[in-house]
Amino acid sequence: MINQNPLTLLTPVKADCFEKLNQILERFKVGLNANLNERFNKLGTLHYARWFILNNDSFRDKPAFPLRERLVFSSNFDGSVEEHVTGLVTVFPEYFDELYDCCEGYPAASERNTETRKNYLVRWKINTTAFYTGAPGRSLKQIQQEDALKNYIWNFVNKNKWHGQSAVQIQKAIQQEVDKNSEFEWSKKQVPVRKVNWPGMIIMSLILLILLPVLIIWILILHFFYERKDKNCYDKRSQLNDDLVRRLEADEDLFNQNQFTQVLVMKPGNARLITVNALMLFARTLIKNFFVQGKLMGIPTIHFARWVLFDNNKHMMFFSNFDGSWNQYLCDFIDKSGWGLTGIFSNTMNFPKTKFLFTGGAYDEEHFLAWSRGTQILTQVWYSAYHHLSIKNIVNNTLIRNELRKNLSEEEAQLFLKRF
Amino acid sequence: MIMQELQLSEIQGFLIRDYRDMPFAKYFLLQFTDAVKGKKFLKNISEKITTAVNNNESSYMNIGFTSAGLAALGLLQNNMRAFIREFREGMVTSYRQRLLGDHDSSEPAKWNWGGPQNDTIHITVMIFGKDREKIDAHAEECIAEFNQYALKSVFVLDNTTFPEGREHFGFRESISQPIIIGSGVTGHKNDHIRAGEFILGYKNEYGVYPDTPLLHENQGNSSMLDRDPDGSDKKDIGKNGTYFVLRQLKEDVDGFWNFLNEKSKDDNGSINAEASTKLAAKMMGRWPGGAPLVKYPDKDPGILSDDNDFVYTDTDKLGLKCPFGSHARRTNPRDNFEETGPAESLQLTKKHRIMRRVRSYGETYTSSPTQHTPIDEVGILFGCFNADISRQFEFIQYTWANYPKFKQLYADPDPFIGVKENPEAGTEQQFTIPQKTANKYITGLKSFVTVKGGAYFFFPSITVVEYLSTI
Repeated sequence: MINQNPLTLLTPVKADCFEKLNQILERFKVGLNANLNERFNKLGTLHYARWFILNNDSFRDKPAFPLRERLVFSSNFDGSVEEHVTGLVTVFPEYFDELYDCCEGYPAASERNTETRKNYLVRWKINTTAFYTGAPGRSLKQIQQEDALKNYIWNFVNKNKWHGQSAVQIQKAIQQEVDKNSEFEWSKKQVPVRKVNWPGMIIMSLILLILLPVLIIWILILHFFYERKDKNCYDKRSQLNDDLVRRLEADEDLFNQNQFTQVLVMKPGNARLITVNALMLFARTLIKNFFVQGKLMGIPTIHFARWVLFDNNKHMMFFSNFDGSWNQYLCDFIDKSGWGLTGIFSNTMNFPKTKFLFTGGAYDEEHFLAWSRGTQILTQVWYSAYHHLSIKNIVNNTLIRNELRKNLSEEEAQLFLKRF
Repeated sequence: MIMQELQLSEIQGFLIRDYRDMPFAKYFLLQFTDAVKGKKFLKNISEKITTAVNNNESSYMNIGFTSAGLAALGLLQNNMRAFIREFREGMVTSYRQRLLGDHDSSEPAKWNWGGPQNDTIHITVMIFGKDREKIDAHAEECIAEFNQYALKSVFVLDNTTFPEGREHFGFRESISQPIIIGSGVTGHKNDHIRAGEFILGYKNEYGVYPDTPLLHENQGNSSMLDRDPDGSDKKDIGKNGTYFVLRQLKEDVDGFWNFLNEKSKDDNGSINAEASTKLAAKMMGRWPGGAPLVKYPDKDPGILSDDNDFVYTDTDKLGLKCPFGSHARRTNPRDNFEETGPAESLQLTKKHRIMRRVRSYGETYTSSPTQHTPIDEVGILFGCFNADISRQFEFIQYTWANYPKFKQLYADPDPFIGVKENPEAGTEQQFTIPQKTANKYITGLKSFVTVKGGAYFFFPSITVVEYLSTI
C-alpha cells in the first residue's frame, strides 16, 4: 500500500517580479487545458497540484505582520518528497526555471540541474498540520488501472444479454473475460482496503472521557474570556466583493471536480493556538483511524484536504480537492460536520459567532457561507489527474477489483453487479 | 420551535396556491419606457394583485420585477446592490449558463426572450382566468393600462394548465410540492418546510433568516417598510417577497418517444409500447399518470395519481424499483442519501426544495409511445419560487440534475433535464437501471428539452409594490 503525501512550498518572490509571475501563472492556467496536463500526467504519481501567489491582499483580515509576496505550490502525490520533487523538475525543468527564476535565490542558469533545482525547492517546504486522503493507499497508477478495469467490465456487461443467469454466473463470466486480457493481470492481486481502527477509537474515546472535566473547563474559559469578546463575521454572500466571487466562479464547475484554497489569520493568544493544535491532533487521529473509507466527517466528496499552520502559527491555509459544486461542498460542511469545522476555524479571525467552541459558527448558514467565500482566494493554476472520477467512483472501483475474484454468495454477487 | 405567523395578505398568491382553478393564463413580459408613469402603474396595480388570501375572484394577477426593472424605476444603485447576486446578474451570465447547462440549442443568444439579443425585460404581469373569453377580456384591459402607463410589450407567454395535469411528454406534473408551514396548505409531513425557504423575512430550514434586500440608502416612503428581521435598523424591501425563476422549455416529444421506442423495441425489431412506457417511467420515477414506481414497480396501474406518500430507504434502497438516476428521485431524494440515515436525509432534502409553478404552452397535446407528433411547438413554462436561488433552483439544476456523478453513479445526468446536447468527445451519457442481477444501461442519451427563454424575478410583497411606486 503506497502512501499519498502532501507537499507545500512557500517561496519568497523577488521584489520586482510579482507582475511577471502573475503573467506566467496565467499562461500556465491556459496551458493546463491544452498541453501542460500531458507533462504532469507523465509523472505518473501526481494526483493534484496548485500554484498561487500569497501576499497581504490575499487575506481578508489584516495579517499578523506585513507579508512579502510568496509563491505557494501545493501537491498531492505518491511516494517520498525527494522522489516527487525530483520528478517534477525532471519532467518540467523549463517551467520550474521560468517560475522560480522569479523567486529569491533560485540557482543561476549555469548552475541549474536536477539536483540544484530539487535542493532549492525542498528548502522552502513547510509542514502540513493535518492531511486527509479520501482514498487512502491508492496510488495514481492504481486509481487509473482500476478505472480502466471498471470501464472494461462495464462494456462487457452492457454488450451482452444475461437473461436467466444468476449473479454468481455473471460474476464468473466477467472474471473469465477479464482473465483473457493480460492487461489486467495486476487485478489478480487483491489490495487491502483500510478499515476503521475500532480498538484505537475506543482508546481515544477513553482518553477523551478521562480528559472531559479538563475539556469542559477549557471550553468554558474559551467561552467566557475569549468567544464573548470575538469580532465576528456578519457578512452575507450577496454583499461580498462581486468581482472576487465572479473570478472564483469563472474557474468553477468546468469539470466534475473543483478546488478550494482558503487563507486565514489566526486569532492572537496561546489559548487559541493550544485549542487549534489540540483539535488538529484530534483531527489527525480521526483521519488516521476513522475517516479511512472516503468520507471526511460524513462528507463523501473530498479527494484530499489539508490544513497548514504557517508563519510561526500566525496564519493558516486550507486546501481541498472535491467533487461537485461549491454549494454542495459548503452545504455538506454545515450539514454533516458543522461542529468540527466550527471548532477548528473559530480560532481564526472574524469567524461567525460561536458558543462553547462547537456551536453557532458554521450553523449560522448565511454568515458562514459568506465567510467561506470571503476568505477563499483564487487558485491560479490547478491540476487534477482524474477530474472524471469522483471519490465515490475511486473507492467503488477498488471494491469492484477486490470482489471480482472473490467467491461471492448470490446475494453478494448481486451487490457486486450494482457497483458499475 | 416558535412558528412565525405568515402575513398572508402581504404575500403574492401564486407562491402559496398553484392556480389550477384558473386554466388559462398570460405572462406579459414588459419594459418601462417612462419611470414616472411606471411608478403610477405600480400604485394602480398594487391593489389588484392577488394575495395568498383572496381566492374568490374571477381572475388572478401577480407581478414580478427583474433587476433591470428595479433599476429602470430608479431604485438607487446602493439599494440594488442589496439584492442577492443571482437576481442582480440575472439568468444569463457565462457562469450561470454553465451551471444551468444552457448551451448549444439552449444558448441564451438563441432565446425568444430574456437573452442578450432580446429586448430587456423589466416586469412580468401574470394574469390567470377561468376560460378563454375571460382571459382575453382581462388581457385587453391590461394592455390598455400598459399603453396608458407607457409599458412596452417585450413578449407574451400564453399558457394553460395541462390536460389531466400531464405535460407533453405524457407525465403528470408537479405532484410533489413543498408545504410552507403556516401557509394553510396541507400535505404530507415530510414536505412541511419552514417559510424562510420560500419567503423572505422568515426563518429557513437552517434556523436563520434568508438574505434579504435592505435599504442601504433612504429612498421613497420607507416608513411603509418593516425593519431588518436580523435586528439592524435598515428597512427591508424583501419582507414577504420571494424570487421566481421562469424558463420556457421546449419539449421534443417526437424525438423523445422515437428514442425510447428504439431503446425498448423487441428482439424482432418491432416497437413495444408497453416496454417504451416502462422505460420512460423508469427515467421519470413515476408512471405517466403519476403513480410512483416504488409502489408500482412493474406495471402501469393506469390511474391518475397524486400519491406523494412514499420514501426510498425502506422500500427501494438499491434502486430496483425507482432508479437512482431518475428525474423524480434525484431532484427530490427524500430520505435516501447513502451517507445519512432516513431522518437526517429528509432534513437535507428540505434545504433544496422549490415551489414549482409549471404550465403548458403551445398545442394542447399529451404524447405516448404511439402518438407523438404534435403539429405545433409544445413545451412547458417552468416556474419556481425560492428564497435562495443559488441553494435551491441552481443547486437542484446543477448538483442534482446536470451533475453525472450524483450518488454513486458514474456518467448519468438527469435523463430529462440534465443531458448535454454535445458532450465532450468520449464522454458517455447513460441511464442506469439497477436490476436484480446485471444492471441495464441506456446509453447515448439525448437532450429532448431546449431552453427558449428565461429570467429571474423578484416578487415583492403587496406593500413593497406600493412602496416601489414612491421611490
